[in-house]
Amino acid sequence: MREMAGHTAGRIFLAVLALSVIAMLVVVGMGYMETPEGTDPVLFFGWITAPLAIGVVFVLVWLIAYLAYFFKYWPYR
Amino acid sequence: MVDYIVLGIFSLIIIGMAAYGYKVSAKTAEDYMMAGRTIGVVVMFFFVLFAISSSWTFYGFPGVLYLHGPGYVFFIWGSVAGFAALYMFLGPRLWALSKLNRFLSPVEVLAERYESKALRVLLSFTMLAFIIPYVGIQPLGVGRGFEALTGMPLWVGAAYTSVLLIILVILGGMRIVAWVNIFLGMVYVTALLGSLFWVVSRVFPDGGLVQAAQTLVEIDASKLSAPGPMGEYNNVLLIGVFIVGLMAFSWPHVVIGAMTARDKTLFKWFPLLIFIFGGLFFYIIPFIWGSLVAPAALPGITSVAEADSVVQTVIQIYLPRWFAVFVLMGVIAAAVSTAAVQLMTSSILVARDVVQGVFKPDATDKQITTIARWSVVGIVVFSLGVTVAVQVGLGEGAMALYLTDVSVPGFAQWAPALVGGLLWKRGTKQGALAGTGAGVLYLILGLLITGADGSRPLLFNLHPVVPTLPINLIVYIVVSKLTPRPPDHIEDVFFNEVDDFLRSDRAKQ
Repeated sequence: MREMAGHTAGRIFLAVLALSVIAMLVVVGMGYMETPEGTDPVLFFGWITAPLAIGVVFVLVWLIAYLAYFFKYWPYR
Repeated sequence: MVDYIVLGIFSLIIIGMAAYGYKVSAKTAEDYMMAGRTIGVVVMFFFVLFAISSSWTFYGFPGVLYLHGPGYVFFIWGSVAGFAALYMFLGPRLWALSKLNRFLSPVEVLAERYESKALRVLLSFTMLAFIIPYVGIQPLGVGRGFEALTGMPLWVGAAYTSVLLIILVILGGMRIVAWVNIFLGMVYVTALLGSLFWVVSRVFPDGGLVQAAQTLVEIDASKLSAPGPMGEYNNVLLIGVFIVGLMAFSWPHVVIGAMTARDKTLFKWFPLLIFIFGGLFFYIIPFIWGSLVAPAALPGITSVAEADSVVQTVIQIYLPRWFAVFVLMGVIAAAVSTAAVQLMTSSILVARDVVQGVFKPDATDKQITTIARWSVVGIVVFSLGVTVAVQVGLGEGAMALYLTDVSVPGFAQWAPALVGGLLWKRGTKQGALAGTGAGVLYLILGLLITGADGSRPLLFNLHPVVPTLPINLIVYIVVSKLTPRPPDHIEDVFFNEVDDFLRSDRAKQ
């Protein structure tokens, strides 16, 4: 991690990961995962629940950031 | 009868692999404890993934989802990020340090980094206290599976698993534990995924998962969203389980895996497997089982014990018996793969950090390997004691709480010293001792001092990791800032040399 903080690409990588964690906390904290009483739950493609969908998006953000950084900029590569 | 033959063949394969491992091993401490630092990326992936994917992924995780809806999956999202963070941020340095200095345990790394035998004792006993009872959970999981499928008493399955574990760890060491995890992982994934496909095609033939979701909307739509039918997983708890999941980077039996890597390229490729195979595939299988298929196929369960077994119950109802036996084999595989790594880690802590680090510094390579092997028996016997306590009714609930409320927060207490030791030059011995000591003490007192209604006033009724970890971290930073910085040779060995090594081609095989 020290090597990441030492150059611009690494700092951007760390910022993306940190922002994704903060975004996750904000989305959950703002209540977007909860279904108001009397309404049907959100289902993507007929079966994917909201907690599953947001988690998949979260993992994809980490995956894309990792691929871009580790294979092109990581000093130890 | 066929059940016993299948399980017998399964055991023989594991024992055969352990015997082969003993035959080809170099009989050195480094070979036994660190697999000779030869683990490549594919073996490492199975090694780590199935070290963390215990019988909990078959019983506890789907059980919580069944009762409370999908909110608990945030623990998984946190864990995926936590495991990836370990291998992206800490792993390369931990591996390089242990390779350059022949360290055999992560506690040894920190003891040398902070130049403190007291810290070595504190961390060793803390980790052992939190990991050993966790080992006992695995035989118990298998015992329950045996009980549900065959009607045999719980102790039969627990004893079967324990004997397998002892043979595997004593003979095979870290290398074969890692290799066996490939076999065990394949069995487990096949059982879990195969049973899911089969049950869905049989019970929901007109639409698969969409039909299951529609069935659940008609039965109880609240099971398809947070906070769930009982209102348990509200925003605060969702954030809590996500943060607890993030702390997965500090699980000692996962941290130690990073030290066995063959070369630095492992750390470049490993996160790819965590994200794709772990986050986007493997953990979604038990999620679909627990949050969608099981509640739609078998609604109406309200007790925790029945919910924990719901996947197995559905399989027994809808699939042929021979497949249920195969699934039980998968559960045994999951339990053994986790407990074996936990046992290896515990035996290394006992032999390298407690015995050689404190009582017998002049112990030879052969002596500490022997001690590590025999400590396995003691650790298994102790963990079996936990299982027996449950068998005679001394508190099933207490043991479940031990895992979620004690082990995970306990593992988290070395996180500031670990992260600071590897990444922060200014972290000092006094800071590490004070921070870890304060965190562990606060955790113990917080768990022991309870109100009449079972509340935990010292922990503000939050998850134990939430108040204890910040205290630990703050004390570590403040005390480190107030005490003299570590000497120059520590900075050279633990930062400069490591950085030079990792930037060079010497770190590639």
